[in-house]
Amino acid sequence: MSVRDLRGAKRHWVLFGCLIWLTFALFPLYWVAITSLKSPVDVVGGPTYLPFVDFQPTLKAWTELFSGIRGEFFSNFWSSTIVALSASVIATIIGSMAAYALVRFTFRVRLMSGITFFVVAMGGFLFGREVLGIGPATASIIAFCIALALSIFINRFKLPGPVLGNDDIVFWFVSQRLFPPIVVAFALFLLYTEMGKLGFRMTDTYFGLTLAYVAFSLPIVIWLMRDFIASLPLDVEEAAMVDNVPTWRIFFGIVLPMSKPGLIATFVITLAFVWNEFLFALFLTNSKWQTLPILVAGQNSQRGDEWWAISAAALVAIVPMVIIAGLLGRMMRSGLLMGAVK
Amino acid sequence: MTNIRLKNIEKSYGDVQVIPPLDLEIEDGEFVVLVGPSGCGKSTTLRMIAGLETTSAGKVFIGDRDVTDLRPGLRDCAMVFQSYALYPHMTVKENIGYGMKVRGVDKKIAAEAVANAARVLNLTDYLHRKPAALSGGQRQRVAIGRAIVRDPEVFLFDEPLSNLDAKLRVEMRVEIKQLHRRLKTTMVYVTHDQVEAMTMADRVVVLNAGIIEQAADPITLYEFPVNKFVASFIGAPSMNMLEGKLSGTGDDLVFESDAGASFPIPKSRIPALAEFSGERFSLGIRPEHTSENADVGPKIQIKVIDVEPLGPHTLLIGEVGGEKFTAQFSSRSRPQPDDMVDVYVNSGEVHFFRESDGRAVR
Ligand SMILES: Nc1ncnc2c1ncn2[C@@H]1O[C@H](COP(=O)(O)OP(=O)(O)OP(=O)(O)O)[C@@H](O)[C@H]1O
Ligand SMILES: [Mg+2]
Repeated sequence: MSVRDLRGAKRHWVLFGCLIWLTFALFPLYWVAITSLKSPVDVVGGPTYLPFVDFQPTLKAWTELFSGIRGEFFSNFWSSTIVALSASVIATIIGSMAAYALVRFTFRVRLMSGITFFVVAMGGFLFGREVLGIGPATASIIAFCIALALSIFINRFKLPGPVLGNDDIVFWFVSQRLFPPIVVAFALFLLYTEMGKLGFRMTDTYFGLTLAYVAFSLPIVIWLMRDFIASLPLDVEEAAMVDNVPTWRIFFGIVLPMSKPGLIATFVITLAFVWNEFLFALFLTNSKWQTLPILVAGQNSQRGDEWWAISAAALVAIVPMVIIAGLLGRMMRSGLLMGAVK
Repeated sequence: MTNIRLKNIEKSYGDVQVIPPLDLEIEDGEFVVLVGPSGCGKSTTLRMIAGLETTSAGKVFIGDRDVTDLRPGLRDCAMVFQSYALYPHMTVKENIGYGMKVRGVDKKIAAEAVANAARVLNLTDYLHRKPAALSGGQRQRVAIGRAIVRDPEVFLFDEPLSNLDAKLRVEMRVEIKQLHRRLKTTMVYVTHDQVEAMTMADRVVVLNAGIIEQAADPITLYEFPVNKFVASFIGAPSMNMLEGKLSGTGDDLVFESDAGASFPIPKSRIPALAEFSGERFSLGIRPEHTSENADVGPKIQIKVIDVEPLGPHTLLIGEVGGEKFTAQFSSRSRPQPDDMVDVYVNSGEVHFFRESDGRAVR
């Protein structure tokens, strides 16, 4: 039975219930919107609901926000925008490639070579630090490269122990997201500062922040895109293979266009994640590349609970995502595959 | 010279052997149809020719080239899939021209080739539509168009018509045959529909569980099936089989069915069959070689279960001692279900299969 089939009183009850829920969902937004228009007196003097009736709206919070009295608004907005856009685009493209590879090709990773990687990377790092006395960044980079090369090399041989397949690899990717982000953020911060000492400035740079976001978004992108790509008809790709279309062209010219709804959904989800992300931005930036969430949070700490200012900043952070979701939402709908097969 | 040679090709998935060693030669310009029941390995064989499936053993030659380890794109085959496999985000024109675009064919030449293919396939009015806005038959024509402009050495078809309705199927059958007549390219066509196989092929290859049961032109296949499987697979409605044994000697050789009917062996067949007296045999009788006319030959009595008046003739679905038996009568006769009817068999056209190995003796 569907709600559409309801008639008469029942239908009205359902409608009524939906309206209540809608109010419930929209009220916080409304509250933020009107609070940003209140003067400090109206905010602290008990709840008021209707502009011009309950209180006299003022643009003070907004002018303050845009004039830069309360932090580098334009700079923060700008860094949020380009970091979020570029990180989501890069993560979606790289993640789709990985997902495609994981769906269409069989990988066999021997557990032993994975363990070797771990042991060599950790051991090499400790050895470099404690015995040779190299700096932590240098030690970890060298140990990591050696471990990677070694494990790829020995994976060719028949090692004892289980062999991991594509599903295990995907799970391994996703398991990255099982850590508390604070652990990752802290480790990244340490790594970045160490790299900074080597002369590669990573903290508070576009490159450093974007890289961190790409890395942290990839598991979700791979996870989502894998399902989208797995649901594509294999015949279409085979037709292209028979037609001597190179693999990279099959991917960019056929697979990506066919998975457009999935790509856009994944892009929006990644964008929302990066746009709203707070912890990494807090650790890895301090002035030039600070993002909007930091600005919003900052409104609280500087001069006490100035809700009007916080509200204005929060609205600015919300609105772009609403616009993006509205623009791209219609493109997420499936149905693009119609006519390919059957 | 683009013949195709399959030399001892095998296919196994893990421990399951889907195709035991298989040998097949397809001549230059030949239209070969692989036919067989579902799951017998037709698609697998075709895909091994195309390179979409690796061979577990054996070699594939196209012309003089050993293509066994070549990737699909380099084999110079064009393939049409059962599911059409069109690029959904491209228009008909782009679909047909995509391969040429990728290969960097000159734009003018490519446009001409697309226009040509579209004209041949009656697609000119649809060039700017996406596949979603086409009917099944039009989609299949786009898929064929995509194959034509490739100008390949070999065409491969994997059940291209099975998603179409009966009428369209007949039309497309004719179109593909005409295409073959015009292009004279080697074609390998897979179907599970024996009518399609018989009507289209220069040579039909009957596959069963990955084994070639018989490869011959349609009429030979129909008139001289080498074994029971081919006999019952080819022809519609399929051949009646009566189980029983041969007995008697010399001119008195008879086939005694388990159901009690006795069937004198025609003179012309006695020399071949005499030595098997006493052995168990299946007697194969095609429905179209039966009649209500007493003058054609010996008779068998059947109990009618159902009557199918088809117009040109009427089929009697009946049974003989528990075995199904279909007879073909002229449409003037009007037997009713549950009648006992005498069916006369044209004894010159019957087949004898040894029960031990199913092979035909003639
Ligand atoms: N990936 C696979 N793993 C194991 N067995 C497989 C696999 N692919 C196909 N087979 C088996 O191989 C056999 C042949 O398959 P194939 O697709 O060639 O059959 P077909 O003759 O084309 O049948 P149909 O008329 O239904 O298309 C089938 O029995 C099938 O179960
Ligand atoms: Mg098949």
